[in-house]
Parts: sequence; C-alpha cells; structure tokens
Amino acid sequence: MPLDMTDEEIVRRTLSDKEAFAPIIERYESKLLRYLERLGVLVREDREDILQNAFVKAYKNLNSFDPTLSFSSWMYRIVHNEAMSFFRAKRSRPQVILSEEGEVLITELRDDASDAAADAELRLSQEALGRAFAELEPRYRDALILRFFEERSYAEMSDILEVPVGTVSTLLYRAKRALRELLPERTPSP
Amino acid sequence: MTSHFNDDHFAKRVLERISDEKLTPRPRWEFVFKNYVFWGLGAVAIALGAFAFSAMLFEIENVDWRLALVTHGSFLAFFLDAAPFLWVGALALFIALGYVNVRRTNHGYRYSLALIAAGAVLTSLTFGAALYATGWGGLIEETVGAYAPFHRPILTEERSWWLAPGKGLLGGHIVSAAPDVASFVLRDFNGALWNVDGSDLRMPDMAAVARGGLVRIVGVPTTATSTVFHACFVLSWEFHGDFQRAPSPLPVAAIASTSERSPFVARSEVCKGIRPYQQLRALDEAGF
Repeated sequence: MPLDMTDEEIVRRTLSDKEAFAPIIERYESKLLRYLERLGVLVREDREDILQNAFVKAYKNLNSFDPTLSFSSWMYRIVHNEAMSFFRAKRSRPQVILSEEGEVLITELRDDASDAAADAELRLSQEALGRAFAELEPRYRDALILRFFEERSYAEMSDILEVPVGTVSTLLYRAKRALRELLPERTPSP
Repeated sequence: MTSHFNDDHFAKRVLERISDEKLTPRPRWEFVFKNYVFWGLGAVAIALGAFAFSAMLFEIENVDWRLALVTHGSFLAFFLDAAPFLWVGALALFIALGYVNVRRTNHGYRYSLALIAAGAVLTSLTFGAALYATGWGGLIEETVGAYAPFHRPILTEERSWWLAPGKGLLGGHIVSAAPDVASFVLRDFNGALWNVDGSDLRMPDMAAVARGGLVRIVGVPTTATSTVFHACFVLSWEFHGDFQRAPSPLPVAAIASTSERSPFVARSEVCKGIRPYQQLRALDEAGF
C-alpha cells in the first residue's frame, strides 16, 4: 500500500479489501489515543478498548463516510461519540488531567484578556488551571480540547461535534469565559 | 473487549476482530435510504404543519370577535372557547418534528436551530395559507374536528352559541319573509321553525333578512317552549374559506320598495334591555 495514498483513497480500497484498512488505523492510532486521554479516559486499557470499538464501527459504517468532510473529522466524531458512551455507561465524569499543554490555553486566555488586570489574573500555576479545566462543563471542555490541543478548525469541530459552526464559536467563547470564572483569585501584579 | 497489546499490533488486532466477527461494511443503500427517510419525515411534518395552519386560519377567520360580548359573558370566556388551541399546538408540534428530522439527515447538524425553525415555519405558513385560500382549511378543520376528542369544529361550536333562544340568541336559515320584513320564518340549526317578529328591525337588519340565507339574530330572551322570537338585530352570517360554500341564496324579500319603517327611529324598549345594546347598534350602523 503506497504511503502517499489519501485517507479517502484508502477508504475506497478498504470497501473491497479489509486489509487495506490497516494503514489508516496506523495513521490515526496515536492521535486518537491521545485525544481520548485528553477527553478524560485515563486508563490505557479503556482507551484501547474505546479506540478498537471506534475503528470497528468505522469499518462497518464505511459506506456512510461522506467525502465532503475529511476522514479525520469523521474518525474523531466516532471516537468522541464512543468516549461519551463510555462515560455514560460508567456513569462517571471524565477525569481530566491537564499536562504541560495547558500552557496553550493560558496563552489563549491571555491573548483574549483586554486589560492588564485580566492579564494578571492569568499568572497562574499549572495546577490551578488544571483544576479549573476539570471543573468545566464537559461540552465546554470538549470544545477547548478540540480547538487548542487537537488544533481543529471551526469547520472540523462542527463536523466532529455535529453542531453548526456558529454554535462552535459560541461554545468556545463561553468555554473561555467559564474557564476564567473558575480560575482562583489573581495573584498581585509585580 | 479488553485487550492488552503493543501499539505495533493494534491495527492487526482490529483486523483480526473484524475477521473473527465476520464483519462487513453495511451497504450504502441503507445509509442513503435512512437519509431520505429523515428528509421525508421532515417534509411530511412540515406538510402537516401547513394543514394545521390552514385549519387555524379557517378557525380565526370564521370566529366573529366583534360579537364576543354578545355570545359570552366576558372576552376571556370567548377566547377560551374560540381560540384555535388545537391548531396552534399541532403547528408547533409538526414544526418541532420537522426540525428534529431535518437535524438527523446527513448534513442536518450544519444548519442552526434558527435557520431550520425559520425555514419550517415559513414553509408551513406559506403552504398553509395557500391551502386555506383554496378552501382546504375548512375541510381539515371540520374533518379533524369531527374526530378529535377535545376539539369541536369551530362552525359547530359557533352554531351552538346561536342556539340559545333563552339567552336571546338564535341562528339559522331564513325560510320566508313578509314583504316588509315585519315578520319572517327561520329554521334553526336543529331544524326547528321559528316565527320571528321583525317589527323592531332597522334598515341594515331588514336588508340582511331580505338577502335571505344564514343569519344570526339577537333578540329578546324567550321561554323554552316558545317558537316565537322577537328580533332586535339580524346579522348576516357568511363563512370564509369554506371548500363547499353554498351558492348565494335567492332574496326572500324586497324591502327597499315596500318598507315604510324609518331606519332612524329608535328600537322599542324591549330591545334596549338586551346586552350589549349599544355595541350591537354601533355594529348595525356600521353595516355589519
């Protein structure tokens, strides 16, 4: 299988030869495992189970893949939905641990801050931000993860979360506002 | 299904599971069919919304809000009896169903709630107005009203308001009239014949009697056994948007050349006691 084949070409080939599915699994495996971890599936075996189920589901529904959206968005959507089903089945709230990538969020919030006072508010420890992030409503957290950690465009987020692009903008705006409100009292400016 | 494996073998494991479970991709037609089903259900829901709107228009058009205080004790009582609750509810329900189904089509999630709702509302209202204009609103209102447990067709409801001679309200078809409309015979909605005393009628009322057809009479309350009714006001009654509208009736009298009564003379005292006299007089003079 040539390595430069597009996802869409692999999908077409997979319809007649299931072995052709392997490259696409390898292409997305690590990205999607990391995405699941960011969503709050902290146990590695759980992540692998969810991802395996997602790929099996993708294979069974290959004919529903709509080439007008990217395969990547379609796969993220399936994984996202599988993760939500997992949380519902376990009746648990995702346990989010923000790693060093939280810096991206801090930068984003700082860019949005309109004055020096708000900027000072963001001089926070990684730990404090992590706690605030974990307290966010899941839909806000999902939006922030996709936008700032997975670096998805608004259109891709719309396809993954199955909401209009306008709703994506609203979600992100509200998520950032909610995150700021959850942050602890500011430390005095030097 | 928990499996413990190295990342290197992940793809292999997935393919093994696909083989073990003998999985194959579901055929494309299933997805295409499902998509069409949702579009179809959305279209049906919006079409039903249009039917509901046409019936709502029929009901609104055929309720005479100007006579609210003639037939009812208060405007609120009239509103509760006459407002098209069933059709408003049905329209809202079908528009919501239209939205839910369109939202579940392949790209339905890309359209905002406002966009789909506005599209569904506009489509339902446009087609509903067209259905009403071509007479289907009445047919739907009457047909559904005949079967819906909590809804009486508006025309049946209104007829019942005007079958209350004890309250001075009588409706029906004019059968015949004296040349000067001093008296006439009316068949009410139960088929009973009434001798109506028209001596207190003024020109607009006399014209309504002379035209014949369906009328509403406000008069002096009478006893249950009486078949004589003293009329104070006669109002023509025409249905709007009726699919099977009856042809205009033939005139039953020609008052212009025969009447010797002046339209400016006040009605007798017995009529002045009816409620709401002044409002009815104003309506009468405005050429109801």
